[in-house]
Amino acid sequence: MHTEANVFVVDDDEAMRSSLKWLIESVGMQVHTYESAQAFLDAYYPGRAGCLLLDVRMPGMSGLELQAYLVRREIRLPVIIITGHGDVSMAVKAMKAGAVDFIEKPFDDEALLGSIRNALQYDEKQRALRAQRADIAARLAELTPREHEVMNMVTDGKSNKEIAAALGVSAKTVEVHRARVMDKMRADSLAELVRLVLIARGGTT
Amino acid sequence: MKTVLVTLLRRMPMPIIAMLVGLLVGLAVWGVLDQVQSAAVEQIFHKELRARLDLRSRESLIRFNQAMTNYAATTRLLANHRRLAQYLEPLFWFPEEAIEPVVYAGFRPFWLPDFFERNAQLTPSHVLLVDSRGQVREIYQSGPEPVPGELLSHTNQWVSSSSEVQTVLGRFGTQPYLVVSDRVEDAGGYLMGSLVVVVPVNAEFLAASEGAVSADRSAVALIDADEQRILASNEPDFLVPGTPLEQFRDDFLITSQSLPDYEGSNWNMLFATFIHHSSVAKMSARVVNFERQQRLIAAAVFVCVFTLLIYLVSARLNKVLKRMSRFSQRALGIAQPGFQRGGNQLLMLEEWIQHFTFLVLRARDEMSRRHEHQLRATEALKAAIMEASLDAIVTLNREGRIIDHNPTAETMLGFDPAAIIGDDFARRFLDPAEHAAFVGMLLESIRTGPGGGRPHARGELWAQRANGARFPVELSIVPIDIDGARVYTLYIHDATKRKRAEREIKGLARFASESPNPILRVTGDARITYANAASEPLMQAWGTTPGAPLPPAWAAEVDAALTSGCNREHEDDQGGQIYHLLFVPIPDLGYVNIYARDTTAVRRAEQESRQHQAELVHVCRLSTLGEVATGMAHELNQPLSAIVNYANGASRRLQSGIGDSHALVDAMGQISSQAQRAGEIIRRLRALVGKQPPIRSAVDINYLVREVCGFVQFETSRLELQIDLDLAAGEIPVDVDLVQIEQVLLNLVRNAIDALAERPLGERILSIRTELYQGDALVSVRDNGPGIPPERMEHLFHPFYTTKESGMGMGLAISQTIVENHGGRIRAQSQPGVGSVFAIQLPVAAVAAEAAADAAETVPAAPPPPAAARGERRPLTETLSSTES
Repeated sequence: MHTEANVFVVDDDEAMRSSLKWLIESVGMQVHTYESAQAFLDAYYPGRAGCLLLDVRMPGMSGLELQAYLVRREIRLPVIIITGHGDVSMAVKAMKAGAVDFIEKPFDDEALLGSIRNALQYDEKQRALRAQRADIAARLAELTPREHEVMNMVTDGKSNKEIAAALGVSAKTVEVHRARVMDKMRADSLAELVRLVLIARGGTT
Repeated sequence: MKTVLVTLLRRMPMPIIAMLVGLLVGLAVWGVLDQVQSAAVEQIFHKELRARLDLRSRESLIRFNQAMTNYAATTRLLANHRRLAQYLEPLFWFPEEAIEPVVYAGFRPFWLPDFFERNAQLTPSHVLLVDSRGQVREIYQSGPEPVPGELLSHTNQWVSSSSEVQTVLGRFGTQPYLVVSDRVEDAGGYLMGSLVVVVPVNAEFLAASEGAVSADRSAVALIDADEQRILASNEPDFLVPGTPLEQFRDDFLITSQSLPDYEGSNWNMLFATFIHHSSVAKMSARVVNFERQQRLIAAAVFVCVFTLLIYLVSARLNKVLKRMSRFSQRALGIAQPGFQRGGNQLLMLEEWIQHFTFLVLRARDEMSRRHEHQLRATEALKAAIMEASLDAIVTLNREGRIIDHNPTAETMLGFDPAAIIGDDFARRFLDPAEHAAFVGMLLESIRTGPGGGRPHARGELWAQRANGARFPVELSIVPIDIDGARVYTLYIHDATKRKRAEREIKGLARFASESPNPILRVTGDARITYANAASEPLMQAWGTTPGAPLPPAWAAEVDAALTSGCNREHEDDQGGQIYHLLFVPIPDLGYVNIYARDTTAVRRAEQESRQHQAELVHVCRLSTLGEVATGMAHELNQPLSAIVNYANGASRRLQSGIGDSHALVDAMGQISSQAQRAGEIIRRLRALVGKQPPIRSAVDINYLVREVCGFVQFETSRLELQIDLDLAAGEIPVDVDLVQIEQVLLNLVRNAIDALAERPLGERILSIRTELYQGDALVSVRDNGPGIPPERMEHLFHPFYTTKESGMGMGLAISQTIVENHGGRIRAQSQPGVGSVFAIQLPVAAVAAEAAADAAETVPAAPPPPAAARGERRPLTETLSSTES
C-alpha cells in the first residue's frame, strides 16, 4: 500500500464524515474530511495524490458540480460518488463526467474499500505516466531542430540514406546526428527511442 | 232604270220570276251545251269510227288470211290424198333434160278430187304435179289461161322445200296469184314429188274471201306498195285494177296493212280496205242530231222542274211569312207586320227580317241593360263577401288550376297574386302526401249530398305556404257548373290556432298525470279525489287509496291549510322514504292539492357526499404522507449508513488488532447516537402516520405548527431555507381533528416550499405566524415565491386545479373542506413577484376561549402588533377577506 494514499471525503453530514473516516482508516489509509465542496477546494493543493469520495447531495456546491469544477481545473483526482438513493440519471451523469465509481448508501464496506483501492492505483499510474511524459519532454527539449528532424525520420522507419537524400546532407552527417539523438534521449536502441517518442506524443505504454 | 227594275221585281210574284229565270237558264244551258257537246260528240264519234274502221279492216285481212289458209289446208289434203298416192305408186319419171308436162285442160285428172268445190272454194286456175327433182310433170288447167311462164321457168322457187305447206303470194305479170305447194310422200315417207296449187287473186277471190261474212260490203284490194296502185279488188267496177291509189283518197277512207305471213314473195304487196266517206259523214250527222234532240228535251225538263221547285218554295215562304208575322205579333208585341202583303216573297222576307232584327236588337239592349245592372249589384256583393271573408276562398277550374282567389288566400298561403292564376293548386299549396286525399275530396264534392243537399265536401288537410311551411287547414269544396264548365270553390280555414289550442288543452290536462312526483287532490274532509300514477307508493305508505281518507295527522294538516288559506310545507320521513309535501288549498272549491316530492335520493346523496368527502380527505392525506415519508426515508438513510460504517470500521480494527479500546468505545457511542437519530426520524414519521382516528380535541395551534415543521425539515434543509416561526406567546387552543388540521398546515407549508424552489438560494423566506385574530385562531403561512397570477386566484380552491406537474390539484380544495368542516375559513392572497399568504382561521376551543380572552387582556402587546414592526405583513392579512372563499 502506498504510504501517501490520501482519501478525501466531502459530505455535509457530520456522522457520515466521521463514520467514513473511521471505516477507511481501519485499512490504514489517510482520510481527510471536509464538510462542503468549498472547504475541500480551500484545503486541497494540486498534485496531492489520492482519491475523492463525494456526496452527491449537499447544500451549496453539489457533488456533481464539484466534479465538473475539478475537470475544468484539470485536477485529475479520481472521484467516487456516494449517494443516498439510486438515481440512475445522476449516476450516468457522474460516470460521463469521469467518476471512477458510484456507490449507494448504506455501503458494503468491501465494495467501498475495493473501489477506493482501485481509484488509488489508477491515480498512482496516471501520476507515474505524467511524470515520465514530463521527463521525455525535457529530453526532447535538448535536441536541436536538425536533430528533431532526424529523429522524426528515424522513428518513421527511414534509413540513413533516405534521410541524407531528404535533408541534402551526407550519410555520414546523418549518422552523427542520429548518434547524438540516441545519446540525448538516453535510448539504448531504436525500439527504445520509438517508445519514448510515442509516450511523448500522448500514447500510453 | 234600276228603280224601275226593283219595282218590277217587287211587283212580280215568285212563280212568274221562277218561270222566267228557269227559261233563261234553260236557254243558256242549252246554248252552251250545244257548242261544247257537239264538238265533243263529233270527236268521240271520229275516234270511235277510226277504231271501227281499224277493226273492220283487220277483220277483212283476217278473212283474207283465212281464205289463203283454207287453200293451204286443201292443198295438204290433196297432197296426202289416197288417189294421188295410188296414181304415183306405179309411176316413175325418168330424169330428163326437157320434158313437156301433161296438161289436163278443162277436166279433172284422177289424182285431183274436187275438194275445192266441196269446200266452197274457187277452183284454182292451175294445179301442178312436180317430181322430186322440181320438174313439172302434169298440169291441171281449169280455165283458158295457161300456166304463167314465170312459174314454169322457176318452179323450184315455188315448191315447198320443207315438210310444211308453203303458201306464197306471187305476181305474174299484173295479176297476183296465190301459190300453195306441199310435198307428196308415200307411206314410207319417201318423197315422191310436190303438189302446187295456183289460185289467181282477183275480184272473184277477194269477194269470195270477204263476201261470205261481211254484211256492209266494204271494199278490199291488194295494192302494190311501191307503185301505190291497185292490183286486185273485190269491187272491180270502181276500184279498177291498175288505178293509182291517189284517185280514191278523196272519196274513201283507206286502211292498208302488210301481209306478214306471205313475205316469202318477191312482191311488196299491201292489203287495203276502202270505206266510202259519204257513209261515214251520214252516220256522224245522224248522231249529232240525235244528241241535239236529247239536249233540248233535257233543257225543257230542267226549266219545268226548276220552276216547279221555286213555285213550291215560294208557296212555303208565303206560309212561313204569315206564321212569322203572327209569331212576332204575339212574342214581341209588334202590331204591324212591318211589310206589305203581296209581291215578291223573298224581298218581303228580307224586309221582315230587317225589321224583326231591329226589334230584337232593341229588346236585347234593353234586357242587357237590365241584366248588367243586376250583375253589377251581384258582383259587388260577391266581391264584398270575398274581400271580407276570414277564410281563404280559391276558385279552381276542372283541371285544378287557380282561376280566382280572395285577399285572405293571398295572405294565408303567402303567394304573389300576379303570378298565381293558372297554377296547379294542389301542387303548389298542398302537402305532397295530401294530394290523393284532395283528389278524393274533389270527387266526393260532385256527388249530391245525403237528402239531396247541395253537393260539397269537407275535410282537414295539411297545406303548405309558398315558403314551404306546413299548416293544417279545414277545407270545404263546393263545385259550381257554369255554362257546362265545372269550377270548384275552395273555402280554406287555417286550423293552426285551433289545433294548437286543442293540443295545449290536451297537454295541460296531462300535466298532473305526467308528473313524476305524486300529486293528489283531497276534499275538505281529507278524502282523496284524485291521485296521479306517481302517488301510488306514497298512498301505499299512508295505507290509503283514492276515495279513502288520509291518515289523521295529514287530515289535520289539510284542515289547517283550508282554514288558513296558506300553503303549508312538511317533510314526511317514513324510514325508507322521505317525502316533501306541499299543501295548497283551493278555498273556492274546498279542495287541497298536495304536491309531494320524494327527497330520499337527495338526502341520501347528501349523506354519501359527506362520506365521499371524508374518503377524499383521507386519500389526500395518504398522498401527502407518501410524499413526506419519501423525504424522511432519505433522511433515515444517513444515520443508518453511518452506523454501518462505524460497525464495519470497528470490526476491521478488532480483526486486525490495531484499534485501541478508547477509539472503539467512541465508535460504539457514535453508533448508538446515530441509532437514536434514526429512531427520532421514525418517531416523526409515526407521528404523522399514526394519528388515524378523527377525534376532535382541544390542542394548541402552536404545537401543530411545530409538528408540521418537523415533517418538512428534510425538505427545508435541502432547499437551505429556515422556517421563520412567529408564534403567539401563549397557547391558542383550538377544538380540531388534529390529523386533519395538521394536513391542512402541511399542505400550505409544502405549497410554500414548492413555490420557493424557484427562488435563488439564500433569498428563500418561509414564515409561519400564529395569532389571535378577532377571537379566532389565525395561522398564516407566507412565502416570497413568485406569487399567483390574479387570473388563477379564483380557481385556487377548485378541485383538480393545479399548476404543478405532479399532484392532483386536490390539496387546497380538501384543505378548504376540512377548515370549513371545523367552522373556520381559509383565505389566500398573492402579489405576483412578491409572494403569497395563505391563512386559516379557526374558532378557539370553547373551554379555552375565556382563558384566551384573559390572555389577550394580560398581554396587550401581542394582538394587534404595531404596523411598523410587522412590516407589510399586516395589510396583506387585513385584505385577505377580499379573496376569502
